[in-house]
Amino acid sequence: MKRTLWLSVSILMTVTLLMSLSVAGLAQTSENWNDILKAASKEGKVVVYSTTSRITEAAKGFEKEFGIKVDSHLLSETELIERVYREARAGIKSADLVLIEDFPSMKELLIAPGYLVNYIPPCAMKDVPADMRNPLVFAHVSRIIGYNSEKYKTAPFESIWDLTTPQWKGKVMIRDVALTGEHQNAFTELIRRSDELAANYESHFGKKLQLREANAGLEFMRRLAENDVIIMTSDTRIAEAVGKKGQADPPVGFFYVYSKHRDAEAKNLAISAAVDLKPFAGYYYNIYLQLASKPPHPNAAKALAEYLMTPAGFTPWSSDIGIYASNTAVKHHPQDKPWDWWESRLWTYNADFAIRNRAIALDTWIRSTSK
Amino acid sequence: MNPQVFFGRVRRNATPHAILSALLILCLLYLVVVPLAVMVRETFVVHPMERFQIPGTMPGDFTLSHWKKMFTGSSAVSFLYKPLLNTLIMSACMSILAILIGGLLAWLVVRTDIPCKKFISNLAIVPYIMPSWTMSLAWITLFKNPRIGGSVGLFQYLTGVTLPDWFSYGMLPIVITMAVHYFPFGFMLISSALQNVDSQLEESAELLGASRPYVLRKVVFPLVMPAVLSTVLLTFSRGLGTFGTPSFLGGPVRLYVLSTMLHANLVGQRPGIAYVVALLMILMGGLVLYMDSKLLGARKSYVTISGKSGKSGLVSLGRAMWPVTVLVMVFLVCVTFIPFGLLAIDSLTLIPGDYSLSKMTLHYWIGPPDISIGLRAGEAGILRNPEILRALGNSLRLGVLTALVCGVLGMLIGYTVVRMRGTKFAGILDQLSFMPYLMPSIAFGSALLALFAVGRGPIPSLYGTLTLLVIACSVKYLPYSSRAGVSAMMQIGPELEEAATMAGASWLKRMTRVIVPLQKSSFFSGLLLPFISAMRELSLVVLLVSPGTQLATSVTLKFTDKGWYPYTNAVMVLIVIAVLFTTWISRKLLGTDLAKGIGG
Repeated sequence: MKRTLWLSVSILMTVTLLMSLSVAGLAQTSENWNDILKAASKEGKVVVYSTTSRITEAAKGFEKEFGIKVDSHLLSETELIERVYREARAGIKSADLVLIEDFPSMKELLIAPGYLVNYIPPCAMKDVPADMRNPLVFAHVSRIIGYNSEKYKTAPFESIWDLTTPQWKGKVMIRDVALTGEHQNAFTELIRRSDELAANYESHFGKKLQLREANAGLEFMRRLAENDVIIMTSDTRIAEAVGKKGQADPPVGFFYVYSKHRDAEAKNLAISAAVDLKPFAGYYYNIYLQLASKPPHPNAAKALAEYLMTPAGFTPWSSDIGIYASNTAVKHHPQDKPWDWWESRLWTYNADFAIRNRAIALDTWIRSTSK
Repeated sequence: MNPQVFFGRVRRNATPHAILSALLILCLLYLVVVPLAVMVRETFVVHPMERFQIPGTMPGDFTLSHWKKMFTGSSAVSFLYKPLLNTLIMSACMSILAILIGGLLAWLVVRTDIPCKKFISNLAIVPYIMPSWTMSLAWITLFKNPRIGGSVGLFQYLTGVTLPDWFSYGMLPIVITMAVHYFPFGFMLISSALQNVDSQLEESAELLGASRPYVLRKVVFPLVMPAVLSTVLLTFSRGLGTFGTPSFLGGPVRLYVLSTMLHANLVGQRPGIAYVVALLMILMGGLVLYMDSKLLGARKSYVTISGKSGKSGLVSLGRAMWPVTVLVMVFLVCVTFIPFGLLAIDSLTLIPGDYSLSKMTLHYWIGPPDISIGLRAGEAGILRNPEILRALGNSLRLGVLTALVCGVLGMLIGYTVVRMRGTKFAGILDQLSFMPYLMPSIAFGSALLALFAVGRGPIPSLYGTLTLLVIACSVKYLPYSSRAGVSAMMQIGPELEEAATMAGASWLKRMTRVIVPLQKSSFFSGLLLPFISAMRELSLVVLLVSPGTQLATSVTLKFTDKGWYPYTNAVMVLIVIAVLFTTWISRKLLGTDLAKGIGG
């Protein structure tokens, strides 16, 4: 009896697995791309929600090449998730395609209930590494720790624990963690890799880390917050504050997007990333490309997805530093380092762990920062 | 009871007032009480992102953990008690300061021989018309210290003195900037109360031998006091729900109030805790309403409107006249032209903080979308940016529609409440129409969102429609126009309508031929405030807008988020101009008076 149960279960599972694989394969391979493009032209329009502003430029390239109008909407990360969630629940078909960040929220709120579906366009099938295809990674964004390069020739700190010492009291700037889902995710990684953090503290200061919180990750958050951290509203303002020239005692920017360095010259900023900081020089997160499960313009959505994943479609992003295509055919910016170089220095997060621990990280943060 | 008798009774009782009030009560119940119930439910439910903090649950399960966490958990102090204390301090100080400024100005304008009264009254309303965080932006621009980096404030630039954190950010500037925003409230309410004090009363007192201070103490104060206290309470409750200013000025020193805590938890996808905060805010608002209705009850017993005597009662300022006038003018310029000017200039700077003339540009107004200029935003200047123009159009439509709905409903409510005064119906209607006022905007917005996100029975899902925004704004601003309606109707004796009834006029005819013509100026005044409020609303609509229904204020959020202030400021300048222009035009053409809209 028990054996037959086992057997039937395993057969069932295998069949299901095979079926799903073949269905997925079918859906992707049986597509006739020319038919899709034809249908897309007939639809004539596609609606995209995006957290990155460069979409407007990419949209123009797409319109020029395919004659399909792109209605692009720029939204903040939380706004985008909220909007897709609300619209799907209300049965409103608005967006066809999203460029979205904050994986745990996306997974729990949008993918699990089936509001978003993964789609791998042909060029991604070819040039995006297999482990980045489900969900499809559009690009990586790096967030770093930066200092004023006019005042300091090299990074004035070696370990992230230095930032919790009196020398940097009231000098560290960070975008509001409560309003930045990716920061919350990143801090869960500090919890997950608490041992590495504690080891770094010990080797750097030559003494054991005294814990008041449950682990070294939370302890770091608390010490950073209690060191009179400055909460800012935007990464742009952090970069400007850090990089402004002629400052006697400039602040340090914690976890802001590296792409802000692109404006350094135009804005006359002296700013550098502490790329050799230990145990991490920052973190990265992914921007994902997903289709709405009931898109009003399904074919145009696929056509735009394909276009965005190609090197040509990615040009508006690759023309600047700080953002890296998942498509290996896209060359990195000449003034930037290749993605592998960054990947080895930056932490990211484990999605499942982040989902379970985000609230703990945020609780600790609010508790330690509030006055 | 046989049916004939029953229907007969119904028909006898079904006066137009009764039918109207029943209908209005039903509508308001759905739009005010149901969202409240939805919110209460949300605090007992596990939401998708919360299910991992509450082990073994699935989204939608029943839970008590949100309440436990907020009141007893290890973080209750920082999640609830500290923000609560901060909120109370902030609202109390702010409303008292606002009433002091407003009351003093009102007294100067109404009761003394200060010159340029008209000019002062006009200017004193402007701070309320501007978006409230205009003031905080101006404060930062002026008094910024190096804490948040970037360029230093104008004060430090000129004097070289580095201001301490407590002066640049936190409670002190929050209280001051909010008081500056809300003092026009006190100014309008108290000046109308002062105007309504029949100077014959004072004259009689003086004839009987009372000294001036004695008259002030025994005659004027008691008559004005209900209005003063009522204003303090109203301003206090506004303070509870304000989000922009505390977030902007409190953020740099990590000062949390309830509204910022609510916002942080809502956008942090923790609606369970967020709605506990929201309910608490509503509860506090309810207490204020209760106290206010006690006061209003007291106020109703004064009949003060009768013929007015001349201006004999004016206090002469004598030698103090010019210094006082100059002081008042300087103050008014500081709270109107300077903040507006700062925004306007900032929208012209190619690189924010660089005010040199050679770097002035119209790029953010009319420039092409270019990623190589200035902020490298790749956004077209606001006057040629289709997204922003569409948003501006939406804002105008919202403002006009909201004003019309509010104006009509407000007058009807005023009519029924006054005509049925003393009945339970009137009491319920009065309280119900005032309730939205006390709901923190952002909480009310999210409750309406929960209500209309999916179709319920015959009512379809309204998410993504302008209708939803109009409903939200109309309900939220209804108190303005219903108060205006009530106070206006109180001034019309029932004799007029009774005479018309005797002459055989139907209800509709009485309304259109007697009531409405008499109320024209009040009616239009009741339109103005909802219009202005809708034009500059952000907290209420921030969760309700969708890509197709973006508003001028919400569309600027993304610019603010990215630190692209010149765009934000340019849009703000447009909004302020549009609102000022409307106020001015409607006063010229329709004789409206903003003060009536607040319902003094």
